Amino acid sequence: MELGLIAIGAALSVMTGVGAGIGMGIATSKAVEAVARQPEASGKINTMLLIGLALTESTAIYGFITALIILFTMGG
Amino acid sequence: MLSGAGSAAGKLWRDSPVWVVSAAVLALFLAGSLLSSRIRRKRVAAQVGPDGEKTGTEPDGEKTGKKPDGEKSEKKRRRRHMILGVVLVWMICGLLLGLIPAPKEEFAVSIMAERVALFGLDLSSSVLISWVAIALLAGAAVILRLFVIPRFRAVPRGIQLLLETAVDSASKYTRSEAGNLGDNLGAYIFSVAAFIVTCAALELFGLRAPTSDLVMTGSLALCTFAVSNYYGIRVKGIGGRLRSFIAPPAFIAPFRILADISGPISLASRLFGNMLGGMIVVDLVYMALGSFGVGIPAALGLYFNVFHPLIQGFIFITLTLTFIREATE
Repeated sequence: MELGLIAIGAALSVMTGVGAGIGMGIATSKAVEAVARQPEASGKINTMLLIGLALTESTAIYGFITALIILFTMGG
Repeated sequence: MLSGAGSAAGKLWRDSPVWVVSAAVLALFLAGSLLSSRIRRKRVAAQVGPDGEKTGTEPDGEKTGKKPDGEKSEKKRRRRHMILGVVLVWMICGLLLGLIPAPKEEFAVSIMAERVALFGLDLSSSVLISWVAIALLAGAAVILRLFVIPRFRAVPRGIQLLLETAVDSASKYTRSEAGNLGDNLGAYIFSVAAFIVTCAALELFGLRAPTSDLVMTGSLALCTFAVSNYYGIRVKGIGGRLRSFIAPPAFIAPFRILADISGPISLASRLFGNMLGGMIVVDLVYMALGSFGVGIPAALGLYFNVFHPLIQGFIFITLTLTFIREATE
């Protein structure tokens, strides 16, 4: 296949980062609100936020892996 | 020889935007520090004026208030000199390294680890490096068992405190996430986390982390799959485990099986993508900095090879425990 089309496909699959970014932003803003409301619970909120961020990040990672596989198996 | 070095320096000057950028940063830094010191001198001079009038009313307060200020500015100046020195050493290191002719490397990343021939076997390099990680962990465990554990005291101190905290937190976390399934599960969880973190930390020594290979993370995820099914069958029996798939709304049984299978796949690709992404970012930074890649990649490596794997290992064991709880409930 043409290399340009492969590149476009890879770029499209990295678009999962948009959703992950929005989700991570929402999660962080809620965590900031929660800490502002209850500063004494910041330790628990922190660990939960980290887990949530890592889980959200994985959607972006799936797109990234898809892009890599497209590039390396089709692009040669 | 000399002309070669000169042309190399010239090439560096022309080709490397890093040089220009760092020179500009240094110039800005110098100008800023000169300007700020002049402004401060002016401000101090302006403050001295009214202070002189005030001294008649409150001489003691002025003296005690002024002294720490002078010390602070002295400390600030020393810190600035230190930063300047570090930047200068960094630039000199980069320039000297740039004079050494190095073959221009193409940026290349492969998803699969390269193959290594060892004792007539065709092995993946991630297998070899994971052997290194296993040897390190096993050696540490043997040393701890032989030399540290016999000397345990009733009141924990030092390394004993560290060990007891680690083991205790691992088993407590296991119990709180997956319920009471015995002590072996906590040990398994702790060793998986230690293995993931050690593998990633090996990248600090220039080896490719085995966890940035889809085969290695896939086998870790298969271990998770096996362990969750083992505990599911042990708690509920084979019939109960199979019946849990066709429980109440029986028509979603295919989706339940699909969810059970897709869990390990997502675990594997999550760990793999995170580790590979970190490796690619560090490689890109090395390529962009060229001969100036002296201190900055080390700080980046601390994030991508120590902190990030800690979080990812934590996620991995959390999801493993979640799957086990789902299988046993």
